[in-house]
Amino acid sequence: MNLQSRLDDSASPGFSASAGPIEQVRYGCALGALASVIAIEGAIPITHCGPGCAQKQFHALSGVSGYQGGEFHVPSTNIGNKEVIFGGADRLDELIGSTLKVMEAELYVVQSGCVPGLVGDDVGNVVQGWQRRDVPIVFAETLGYRGTNFTGHETVVRAILDQYVATQPGPAPETRKGLVNVWSLLPYQNPFWRGDLAEIRRILEGIGLTVNILFGPASEGLAEWRAIPSAELNIVLSPWLGLSIARRLQEVYGQPVLHEPAIPIGARATAAFLRKVGEAVGADPERVERFIGREERSYYHYLRDFAHFYAGCTSQYRLPSEINIVSESAYALALAKFFVGDLGLNPGVIVLTENPPESERAAIAQAFRDLAPGVDGAPAFEPDGFRARKLITRKARVGEYPILFGSTWEAAAAGAIGAPLVEISYPATDEVVLARSYVGYRGALQLLERTYTTVVRQSTEENPETAFS
Amino acid sequence: MAINLRTPQAETRDQRLGTITQWDGNAETLARDSAFTYGCGRDCGPGGRRLCELSTPYSQASMCAEQIAVTNATIIRDTVVIQHAPIGCAASQSFTSRYSRDLAARRGWKPEDPKSICTNLSERDMVFGGVERLADVIKEAFERHSPRAIFVATSCATGVIGDDVDGTARQLEEEIGIPVVPLHCEGFKSRHWSSGWDVIEHGILRRLVPDRRHEKRDDLLNVIHLGGPDVFSPLVNPLGLTVNLVMGGNSLERLADLSTAAATVTMCFVLSYLATGLEQEYGVPEIRAPLPYGLDATDAWLRDIARVTRREHLVEAVIASERARIAPELERLRKALAGKKGFVAAGAAFAHGLIADLRELGVTVDDAFSFHHDPSTDSRDPQQDSLGALVQTSGDIENFTVSPDQHFQAHAALKRAKPDFVICRHTGAIAVLAGRMGIPVLPIFYSNDGLGYEGLLTIGRGILRVLPRRRFYEDVAAHSRFPYQTSWLEETNPYALVGEDAA
Repeated sequence: MNLQSRLDDSASPGFSASAGPIEQVRYGCALGALASVIAIEGAIPITHCGPGCAQKQFHALSGVSGYQGGEFHVPSTNIGNKEVIFGGADRLDELIGSTLKVMEAELYVVQSGCVPGLVGDDVGNVVQGWQRRDVPIVFAETLGYRGTNFTGHETVVRAILDQYVATQPGPAPETRKGLVNVWSLLPYQNPFWRGDLAEIRRILEGIGLTVNILFGPASEGLAEWRAIPSAELNIVLSPWLGLSIARRLQEVYGQPVLHEPAIPIGARATAAFLRKVGEAVGADPERVERFIGREERSYYHYLRDFAHFYAGCTSQYRLPSEINIVSESAYALALAKFFVGDLGLNPGVIVLTENPPESERAAIAQAFRDLAPGVDGAPAFEPDGFRARKLITRKARVGEYPILFGSTWEAAAAGAIGAPLVEISYPATDEVVLARSYVGYRGALQLLERTYTTVVRQSTEENPETAFS
Repeated sequence: MAINLRTPQAETRDQRLGTITQWDGNAETLARDSAFTYGCGRDCGPGGRRLCELSTPYSQASMCAEQIAVTNATIIRDTVVIQHAPIGCAASQSFTSRYSRDLAARRGWKPEDPKSICTNLSERDMVFGGVERLADVIKEAFERHSPRAIFVATSCATGVIGDDVDGTARQLEEEIGIPVVPLHCEGFKSRHWSSGWDVIEHGILRRLVPDRRHEKRDDLLNVIHLGGPDVFSPLVNPLGLTVNLVMGGNSLERLADLSTAAATVTMCFVLSYLATGLEQEYGVPEIRAPLPYGLDATDAWLRDIARVTRREHLVEAVIASERARIAPELERLRKALAGKKGFVAAGAAFAHGLIADLRELGVTVDDAFSFHHDPSTDSRDPQQDSLGALVQTSGDIENFTVSPDQHFQAHAALKRAKPDFVICRHTGAIAVLAGRMGIPVLPIFYSNDGLGYEGLLTIGRGILRVLPRRRFYEDVAAHSRFPYQTSWLEETNPYALVGEDAA
């Protein structure tokens, strides 16, 4: 199978920049999708942009997001006066050539930033020259003024699918029974993506599937990417991110799409998710139920014991009754479902910060209905931190103990409403994250640990006397 | 050549000072060939020569001037910084989410969020221009935060499309009645990010330093620093001097006092634009003695401050008591560090200072990595030739690499040096690289750590704390690999990719 490269059509459809100014930024620009490339083992981005662009994006997304670290020694043209005035295509060509001499990778992803877009460098042409020499290299136009790191992620993934995966030599790929592709959290943007993807992989393998998780330490790297066309299902596990990728794959390979907007947290949501996936791929129901049963035995053992705390310490530590969230929609939805649906909190203010495409917003809002039977959340789309804070602090609360899940920026809002703050979204500077996960079975338990440790500590700090009563 | 404050745009340091970012050789040669040796600017006489900058076909992502200018504007209290840029430039806001609170804690201020707003330019603005949006955001910033001054930072994108930021700033300034200060810091305009310091200092000098020469205070000493705790007051208070600490987080009052001071010191000559400008515009003398790294240099620095502020009668007692105070601990540190080999990576004068510290502590330094090199300073005073002074007082540095924080070059330089530890400025490429190569590393985040007498102890203790971590780093190094070709992993010449050696 051979796919025509579609270099002129790589921008994600439906994106429109936020009309207003943004204070307390919560995402990067399209070039920031270089983090997604770094998240693929064996792939290296080559950036054609100003001298600070690539570093700023990656250090923001990896460093100020749970101190994740990551392999950052990214080739960059570091555009100067000369390239602005005379064009930078030759410099990029030189950089690609020298990159091949110095670096070692299975795949190179050329990403362009604002300046080449404005001065009109023909980057596609430069990259095609190398492609003709059989270098595994693709081009993703990630102009900073044209999108966010979310839409840039889709652009980068599309470029890899169209120009690398689809151009692999050999016979057309055959569908492999039980193989699924997963499109879920945005790497690095979400501080817990590594652990979460590992847990998602684990539970899907638990019901007998083989999983292309594609990003991070739980992935086999580019071998998984090359196997994408052989999958029998694309699972989109997020409110909107990845949908356009899955639709594209459906178009090209005829693979069906299972869209589950809420990443499952806790036994109830996870079991429902696994049954739905099992059904979609015709997995052996007995095996599915066996796995769910085994996981639930352990999960509910812990919840049974946690109930001692959850019941007994209700008033001593002022256990929260109302959940407020400022986050990208994927985690906002997952957390809202878990804390409202499973823990019995009331939904408070929910702010979705990633500026999703207009075309997806109604569906995203719809997903917040029925967090528990008859209990709806009403999310606001607001990428600006100043206005987000107003939404949080201006809500009238009578008798509620609020808790706030958000980013480092939320410290002031949390203080204003007297809520403990659990950092779950970018930027997150008060969490050091390695493999921790907050989703699935095991992640849910860690989420409870972190949440209620925070609650107890805050309660004790603010009311030292309660510690002795 | 005087600093030109008539235009809103600071001349880049590449143009003013002949700053270079790529060079390799020994420090003696670099110092000799820098303009200081003949003291009259470039290309005029025997001794030096025009520094020949190397150029490598391969380069890695680095930093830009915008980040320096914006970060240091953001931490000035009671101001708002507007980044007139697409959203990506504003990613740096998230660094300050923590930095400004850390800074507040260390300086005893009430922690509050930094105020920076991005105009969030889109493709439409690239086509039609973004000045209307900028005007709206300036007004919005004023309404949101009632600041006392607003900075407007440009970006590569607005530079290329040619938005009239100065005109918009002037117009809005009249409307809202507070200074609106443009910061021209397009990343592509300078080869080195340190030009960002000049940009913010230029903006401060032009707009936020009123002429208050008539209120001269003979006890006030301006201290221009990179950031961090105040280590200066304990040093100069005994001379009867009060410290006016600016840059690296300060208030508008501190800036407004600048022209009243008796003198200005800079803790790093990379920041000396403001000091030289204060002397030029307001006659506040700039202390030009070599920076206070190491015992003798600190003595000389204090004596120069005392001379300029007429406190010679107090200074010898201060020097003697400080030397006596640190002597026992310095002795302990020297013993513990004896025979160790250090590698320094930092920016120009800051790197020279850290090398001096290490040598004072008895550490061998034959290898250093400087993020850029200024052959001159704005004062054109050879006293500020910190590299020359270092070579003269403590000897050559055999392998002196100038490189803008390039990971691949630092890898080669570290392979060549095989140090026992690395000490570096910035937590960027070098710190992680050293750790991953199995080498203990002490990154200096708050850059005043190495200054003065106490600085020797701070650095020495810091090194001793990290040395045992070799156990961790070696374990990681043995179990991970950088994605370089084997040939580059074995390379020990940072500039091996360059055909000809220009040194």
